[in-house]
Amino acid sequence: MAVAASARDIDAASYGYPLTNPFEATIATTPPDQRPMLPSDDEIDQSDYSLTLRPEREFTLPDNFWAVKKLKYRLARQDHAAPLIFIIAGTGASYSSSINEYLKKLFYQAGFHVVQLSSPTSFDFISAASRFATPGISQDDAQDMYRVMQAVRAQHARLPVTDFYLTGYSLGALDAAFVSHLDETRRSFNFKRVLLLNPPVNLYTSINNLDKLVQTQVKGIDRSTTFYELMLEKLTRYFQEKGYIDLNEALLYDFQQSRQHLSNEQMAMLIGTSFRFSAADIAFTSDLINRRGLIIPPKQPITEGTSLTPYFKRALQCDFDCYMTEQVIPMWRARTGGGTILELTNQVSLYALKDYLQNSKKIAVMHNADDVILGPGDIGFLRKVFGDRLTLYPHGGHCGNLNYRVNSDAMLEFFRG
Amino acid sequence: MVNKLLFAAALLAAGHTLAAETAPRASVVEGDPQVIGTAPLAPEADGFLDPLRELKFNPGLDQREFERSTLEALNVYDPLESVNRRVYHFNYRLDQWVLLPLVNGYQYITPRFVRSGVTNFFNNLGDVPNLFNSVLQLKAKRSAEITARLMFNTIIGVGGLWDPATRMGLPRQSEDFGQTLGFYGVPEGPYLVLPLLGPSNLRDTTGLVVDYAGEQAVNYLDVADTSKKHPEIFALRVVDKRYTTNFRYGQLNSPFEYEKVRYVYTQSRKLQIAD
Repeated sequence: MAVAASARDIDAASYGYPLTNPFEATIATTPPDQRPMLPSDDEIDQSDYSLTLRPEREFTLPDNFWAVKKLKYRLARQDHAAPLIFIIAGTGASYSSSINEYLKKLFYQAGFHVVQLSSPTSFDFISAASRFATPGISQDDAQDMYRVMQAVRAQHARLPVTDFYLTGYSLGALDAAFVSHLDETRRSFNFKRVLLLNPPVNLYTSINNLDKLVQTQVKGIDRSTTFYELMLEKLTRYFQEKGYIDLNEALLYDFQQSRQHLSNEQMAMLIGTSFRFSAADIAFTSDLINRRGLIIPPKQPITEGTSLTPYFKRALQCDFDCYMTEQVIPMWRARTGGGTILELTNQVSLYALKDYLQNSKKIAVMHNADDVILGPGDIGFLRKVFGDRLTLYPHGGHCGNLNYRVNSDAMLEFFRG
Repeated sequence: MVNKLLFAAALLAAGHTLAAETAPRASVVEGDPQVIGTAPLAPEADGFLDPLRELKFNPGLDQREFERSTLEALNVYDPLESVNRRVYHFNYRLDQWVLLPLVNGYQYITPRFVRSGVTNFFNNLGDVPNLFNSVLQLKAKRSAEITARLMFNTIIGVGGLWDPATRMGLPRQSEDFGQTLGFYGVPEGPYLVLPLLGPSNLRDTTGLVVDYAGEQAVNYLDVADTSKKHPEIFALRVVDKRYTTNFRYGQLNSPFEYEKVRYVYTQSRKLQIAD
């Protein structure tokens, strides 16, 4: 317990985060008036760039994938020499995901050049940058990501950079940990500080939790009403009671206060649904590029007019566990000469970096006590490994409090350190 | 105040869960949540507060509701899918290579107040079809509100360059002829992807044509006639439309973006018609 006590535990009363329900926090994130003041897009000198990292995909990928044959990323530049921070997106998310956009604004305002990167599990990254196109093996994903980061640096060789920093949220935080570890030997960046935001600790626990979210018992679903119809009915009734449609940031909070508000099971199902769509995208893209024939026949001709709906129907049957079992594990076994799932889990989770994380004072982690991607014992592991470099917030769900002013201040303080 | 309400809402929801958790299964009835003064679940030794612990799961963990919902959602009448997909890709390219660069240039050369003036101006013009369609749907209150908007914005807002009505509590409410047709029960017809304009269906495309013809006939503020002599007004309108539309091709970052856009379009139209 002596070690455990040294983590920075933020107590609920002084923290003051308004959403104590982890599902609400995950979906709605922080109410607008409690977010930090951030610059608008107009005030940021930024552009999207693209990299050709896997030129062979130009020929091997079907025509209707033309948009993801090159990897895009976004760079926001200061007009003077400045530190540069890389931000890695979470599961399935692209460089322009809303959390990436938020973090960009936060760090740009604090004087950083900012590079926003897609997750190694995102459609564009798998297609344009991934060697094996089968994300899930953290070391491999980190190597792909490292090449991307080196290419970004090379594309802007004249950008005056003082130091390099690294962060990522959710799965992107796990990637950041592995990238940082890789950098210790490759030394392209010598990251000064690395911040992990809501990382999974045990990847297998996380994917099982996420898969399980669509198994909640939701009231109001029956033979004639599907889950989406139920959600849309609620939304329709909500707007009718309100009298008009007004889509703004306050909508979610207002909705949760209305008679149509969602139950925990419904919110869990909604979160689970969004992850299932990511799983379907990953399973399909990986299968297509590797021509495994599980979802799409390897020789199926695809043009811009070809309907992908039949493959979507097959892909959506596959959750994360199915993707791991059908695609990741067989590939991993073939490449490494076999091994148990337990060994794989240890290799791809934070456990693999235990000694490194324990001794590397430049890496810190921020997490929430009620994050849905964690399992029993995970926080204990973080406490033991990170000590006082772990900041544990009492609320926030999965990444819901990243845009809370208390959290954003803590992030900036860590990087200023 | 808002925070307190939110806090209350969160508590309410949490109380609901606790109630569901502690009550025996059989007695859990559908109904409004009740606030129950139970202590929060105790965290584990390391501080972990497992959110899954609060949920009621399907006993066998084998329900296929996600699959069922999604498969059903993919049933959108789309007989021209092959053509639609090609147009979708055409629009995607047009967007990347023409429209978005235009919008960037527009943002570069104009200050923000000019751009919002342009947006307000075209929005004010759009309130004319909004009014017509709201009248056609016999929505008295809404018609009155839109009339008030038109008057305030055209007179006080100097021809619509400024939008004082929204600040006075009269937000913009969109009604088009597609919605009017839907209101009277006209079915959507096949899904269509229109060049430049994007997702639509037969009913809404008809609506677009009618609204356009109406706009030409009304010639509000003489814009329709002037645009014929000065196509740059039309061009500005296109750029403004793109500037104010948040959607970016590729932003869903999914190989199934076409299907997802199709579903969202269809459902959001239903929502608009219902309200």
